[in-house]
Amino acid sequence: MKSVKLFKENKQFTIFLILALAVVGVAVFAPWIAPKDPLEAVMLDSLKAPCAQYPCGTDKLGRDVLSRVIFGTRTSLVMTLILVAVIFVIGTTLGIIAGYFGGIVDAVIMRIADMMISFPGLVLAIAIAGMLGPNLTNAVIAISAVSWTKYARLSRSMVLKGKKALYIEAAVVNGTKTLKILVRHVLPNMVTQMVVTAAADIGTMMLELASLSFLGFGATAPTPEWGLMLNEGRTYMAKAPWLMIYPGIAIVIVVIVFNMLGDSIRDVLDPRQE
Amino acid sequence: MRSKLLKKVLGVLAACALTVVAAPAMTAMAEGTVTVGVTSFADTLEPTEQYFSWVITRYAVGETLTKFNEDAELQPCLAESWESSEDGLTWTFKIREGVKFSNGDELTAEAVKASLDRTFAKSSRAPSFFVPTSIEADGQNLIISTEKAIAGVPGCLADPLFLIMDVAAESDNIEMDGPICTGPYAFQEFVPDDHCIVVRNENYWDGEVPLDSVNFKVIGDQTTRSMALQTGEIDIAYNLKAENLIEFEGNPNYDIQQLSSLRATYAFMNQNGPLGDLALRQAFIRGIDRETYCSVLLEGGAIAGKAPIPPTLDYGFDELVDENAYDPESAKAVLAEAGYADIDGDGFVETPEGEKLELNFVIYTSRAELGVYAQAAQASLKEIGLNVALSTVSYETMLDVKESGQYDLIIWNVQTATTGDPENYLRENWYSTSVHNTAGYNNPEVDALIDELATEFDTDARRDLIIQIQQHIMDDAATVFFGYETTFLFSSARVTGVTMFPMDYNWFTKDVKLAE
Repeated sequence: MKSVKLFKENKQFTIFLILALAVVGVAVFAPWIAPKDPLEAVMLDSLKAPCAQYPCGTDKLGRDVLSRVIFGTRTSLVMTLILVAVIFVIGTTLGIIAGYFGGIVDAVIMRIADMMISFPGLVLAIAIAGMLGPNLTNAVIAISAVSWTKYARLSRSMVLKGKKALYIEAAVVNGTKTLKILVRHVLPNMVTQMVVTAAADIGTMMLELASLSFLGFGATAPTPEWGLMLNEGRTYMAKAPWLMIYPGIAIVIVVIVFNMLGDSIRDVLDPRQE
Repeated sequence: MRSKLLKKVLGVLAACALTVVAAPAMTAMAEGTVTVGVTSFADTLEPTEQYFSWVITRYAVGETLTKFNEDAELQPCLAESWESSEDGLTWTFKIREGVKFSNGDELTAEAVKASLDRTFAKSSRAPSFFVPTSIEADGQNLIISTEKAIAGVPGCLADPLFLIMDVAAESDNIEMDGPICTGPYAFQEFVPDDHCIVVRNENYWDGEVPLDSVNFKVIGDQTTRSMALQTGEIDIAYNLKAENLIEFEGNPNYDIQQLSSLRATYAFMNQNGPLGDLALRQAFIRGIDRETYCSVLLEGGAIAGKAPIPPTLDYGFDELVDENAYDPESAKAVLAEAGYADIDGDGFVETPEGEKLELNFVIYTSRAELGVYAQAAQASLKEIGLNVALSTVSYETMLDVKESGQYDLIIWNVQTATTGDPENYLRENWYSTSVHNTAGYNNPEVDALIDELATEFDTDARRDLIIQIQQHIMDDAATVFFGYETTFLFSSARVTGVTMFPMDYNWFTKDVKLAE
């Protein structure tokens, strides 16, 4: 009953949650939704304009663009979720450690973080991805390396705020183990805020991954990935605009959905709203 | 307050945007200057490194003793005339009088000798052309002696590697300053991967040089280069392809030239890895449909490949028997017979030893058609169960990879007759001890035939030998020949006198000028 009320009261949240679930559904059920094999190249049908057989046209190698866009949802979504999970876990853990223990640990972790944010994010990511070699895993590593700092700084500041609270001092006096204090008393007080940040980040991270692929540092051919598809289509922009239009639309829609979802999650969870 | 700030920010942004848009247009309009869009090629201007000397001749700075004209005929350049001795062991070149380097120094036979000596001392590629026992200067004559009679010496000397530079005036920082040469233009500024500015050589020997300066702008991306030509940022664009035709055809503001080139695109198969197995190599070549790639995917921008030498040169292209023509069924049969089978059911075959097989195919970015070939091959080979992974790198990185031999296949796009004849091309790529043969191809018969070719003066006999060599290379399934491209040259009607040369180490010449 309570959850129904929640959905009713937060219409925006409900709408975008449904849309986001739809996107996830497309990713999960891609093999059943896509009309064709995204990798199957019918070279005689190279660069066919959208028609009944190919609703979104075909690319240079005669692969069905619609199927590639649908399968691209899988690549983009899975990689983005992994990426957000990685930076969430690493950033938060390091931030808690830095904030709770302070002193030299704090100094080392936060100075590394300062170093990382003193470079423009995407440029540093390109440098790292360039060194590691182009593939999606390396792109995730590269973006993680530059994005974890945000979570570290945020969680550290929240730990610092709560560290002096009476209940923590009580726990320390009681002889509770440090790990238990962190998990039981520190983490629960900040996890909402962190989740909100992570949810709002999904869209941005998706764009960053697509940018890296577009620049040739992420997905490699023949993986159906939106950024890569945009890059491949660029050469034929005048002749076959559908190569850029459909992956472009896919990126816009999915990023908007996840950005709006992140916003509405914040509205729902933000304690100050209550 | 806030809106004021916003206005300010917008104003600044608009100003930035305007300068960005206006700046290139202004440079292109400057009096007596032509801007050329090129693909990235050289890290340095040291002529003996890699193929970097090509950049020097392409930019109309370097010149050679002999040269090839638009019809691929050998012409005098810095040498007025040449002759060989009866036994063919010595060649005498008469150096043109009154030629000066761009710094005003006289071009003497001594200076030519110094330049050639430098090339032979520094370049690992030079010996694959010919090995001189001595190079002597005698008055205005240059005498080159070789151990065996070598027919192709004058043609070899037209290769950019043998461009003549002023060794006496060599800069300490030749990599960035560039050599001092005799061409219509001289280097002024070189920024690798960005641009190179050449200015008029006031001491040029062969008539007036029409332009004050030429800016060669590196625009690695094909689409961007095409757009730069459309916006007027550049006046001439090299290396555009058939798919760019649609953007310029029928527009009177642009000239389009095309030429069935002497270039071949192929992939070396590294025999030091899994491709050491002949059956795998045969299956690979039989699995790719080159005919369709060239006619459909490249829109007729290339002729389908099978042999080392393109049909534009008369070396028996049609006589050569290709037992590895496209035939996916026989490719599968060859694989099965040799013990390649898909054991784990992932759709790709494993080696006869049961190990996973993934072929690493290295391609580079500056030629867009390479990606098309490689991706199409990847898709076709999936059909016969071969797993190909593409790694796309820059041209310079590709050269390093090739040198280190860390590849299964590596793409190569090369001019097949830089010396007017494919002898050097065959030796450089398929002779067992050639430094550039990093794929480990070794056929003693091919080596013997290439050696025989070097000393053969008779044209018909040379043709026969070259056909035999090609047939061996094809029978050994040594290399995947994808195609022979048509090259295009798009230029703005603002400039005239732009010519395409079959020997495409000549690009810019003294004849390029602004239209009246």
